[in-house]
Amino acid sequence: MTAFERFVLHFLPYATIVLFLVGMIYRLRIWSRLPQPSMTLFPQPSGGDKKGILAEVFFFPKLFRSDRVLWSLAWIFHIALALIAIGHLRVIVDFSFLWEAIGMTPADVDSMSATLGGAAGIVILVVLLGTIARRMVLQRVREISTGGDWIALFLLLAILTTGNMMRFRDHFDLSQTRDWFLALITFSQATLPPGGAFIWHIFLGQLLFIYIPYSKILHFGGIFFSQTAIHRS
Amino acid sequence: MNEQSIEKVVNGIKAIRNAPAALRLSMEICVKCGTCAKECPIYFGKSERDLNPAARSDLIRKIYNRFYTPAGKLKHLFNGTAPPVSKEELEEWAKVFYECTACRRCARFCPMGLDNSVITRKGRALLDSVDMTPPFLLKVIEASLKTGNTDGAPPIALQEAAKFLEEEIKEEAGVDVKIPVDKDHADVFFVPPSGDILVNPESVMGTAKVFHILGVDWTMSSKAFDGANYGLFTGNDEAMKEDNKLYIEEAKRIGCKTLMMGECGHAHRIMKFMMEKAKWWGELPFEITNILQFTAKAVQEGKIKFDKSRNPDPVTYHDPCNFGRSCNIVDEPRIIIKACCADYREMTPSGSENWCCGGGGGLSAMDSIKEFRMTISGRKKVEQVKATGAKYVASPCSNCKRQFTQLMEHHELDVGTGGLHDLVSNAILYE
Repeated sequence: MTAFERFVLHFLPYATIVLFLVGMIYRLRIWSRLPQPSMTLFPQPSGGDKKGILAEVFFFPKLFRSDRVLWSLAWIFHIALALIAIGHLRVIVDFSFLWEAIGMTPADVDSMSATLGGAAGIVILVVLLGTIARRMVLQRVREISTGGDWIALFLLLAILTTGNMMRFRDHFDLSQTRDWFLALITFSQATLPPGGAFIWHIFLGQLLFIYIPYSKILHFGGIFFSQTAIHRS
Repeated sequence: MNEQSIEKVVNGIKAIRNAPAALRLSMEICVKCGTCAKECPIYFGKSERDLNPAARSDLIRKIYNRFYTPAGKLKHLFNGTAPPVSKEELEEWAKVFYECTACRRCARFCPMGLDNSVITRKGRALLDSVDMTPPFLLKVIEASLKTGNTDGAPPIALQEAAKFLEEEIKEEAGVDVKIPVDKDHADVFFVPPSGDILVNPESVMGTAKVFHILGVDWTMSSKAFDGANYGLFTGNDEAMKEDNKLYIEEAKRIGCKTLMMGECGHAHRIMKFMMEKAKWWGELPFEITNILQFTAKAVQEGKIKFDKSRNPDPVTYHDPCNFGRSCNIVDEPRIIIKACCADYREMTPSGSENWCCGGGGGLSAMDSIKEFRMTISGRKKVEQVKATGAKYVASPCSNCKRQFTQLMEHHELDVGTGGLHDLVSNAILYE
């Protein structure tokens, strides 16, 4: 293994976890403690109750009223992202008991993962390219874009590209990552076969996790607080 | 302006760290999706970066980031000793923060639930703290604190106006409709905007007729006949509260059960959501409601009747930002207008999605930016009104009315404008 591979596989994961958790706890704790004085009634098309807030968070109805193109990009992106996030749980541990309970053979699971995961990987890449194009082409978006907006997009682009390479070119075997995670937990040093897109995927993925709590990507956490703030009257 | 001014502004921005959630989250979770610009009447009027709501908000965000985000701090390392904001930039702020009407249409659509008007108001408050508020607005506040009304009119102005309006009604309909001023005690304390006394009194005539028919025990106060409160527009919280004080005192002196706000959206918003809900003066011994809600209820209960043929022309309704978006008074004016007008035309879009007239946030009163209001901020509104084919725009807001009057003249359109109770006044029946 090269020094870079050892760094990414054996050292960086611990730093990632610490930086991610510290950042998340810090920011969410502060947000949850912000004063929310009773103030003027805000526009509240979806009611302002808990149900309305959840509807805002999961279906973006206000955006739907305004911009169907952006709504489609945003909604498909987040759904595909959720699918991919759930799929990645199998990278850590295979839920064999769950598959047995619902009567699926390992072959069934692999084929479901290949179909759903493969589709989600392609769809999200297309949508992301659409989002990047939108940010470049539309004046009103381009002129307000800052470094952070581009970093988030291109970091995701690189992660998705390497992820798709692993699925469609390298045909990566998940038992290797499960061994790796087990080794991380037991503080032993697993090795991984060199070569392929994996090392880049796992490196960039960790950068993303470190970046999340300190950037606008945490809008998925902040939105709960902002929607609560504006729906109170 | 000097070094201390800059320091004051920077400290004000640092203090956002402890600000209410609505402001602080606006600093931290904007995803720069551009939806606000798409829905902004000003950006519609002229699509350039200075007028993009997110870019305007970034003026403050940029400085906030410099102190509080890793990326902002890093950038600062490279930029070295440059001050967070220069004198020239502050002078630019004085212009751009008054190129937003604070109409909150962007907030109506923001998928993140953010509100650029909160940042605009913060920007104006920072300017105000270093004496950079437009002088005209300062004069209005000064007049209001001194005389109780934004026009600086003496108490006799209301007393005379009330007498004159009573005679008008007598002449027109042969009915003795009282317009009581300074009664010692009354159930209802009515507070219009002073514009509805001094500029467009038809609205108060209509209101008096409604009260007359329903037998309401009401009064106005010659000391306090203007709910308008420009502290909301300049971001000066102390001035806003100070201006409001007179009204709580008068309401208590009169011993009213109801403080009835007139056709003025921002006054209603302040009284209802700050004075009452935010408990500026503790629990209030009276309720706060609006004449639009009051009359609409009477119409629905069949207590007042109209002769629609007296308002034959096509009429459309403009939702003032503070009623439509900030107070959720959307259905009531339509109930009234449909009851008393023969030909009602709805605008598209309407209600909380309606476009700003282009004069919100105090801009309407500023003649120094008339050109901007006529050609940029009011552009969308003119298109909307034209599309309805209406001959009259009803809007319960003195600022909207002023903006409309000027817009129609500027764009050479034969469209009248006025309040809602003006229409009520025309068509109401005394049976």
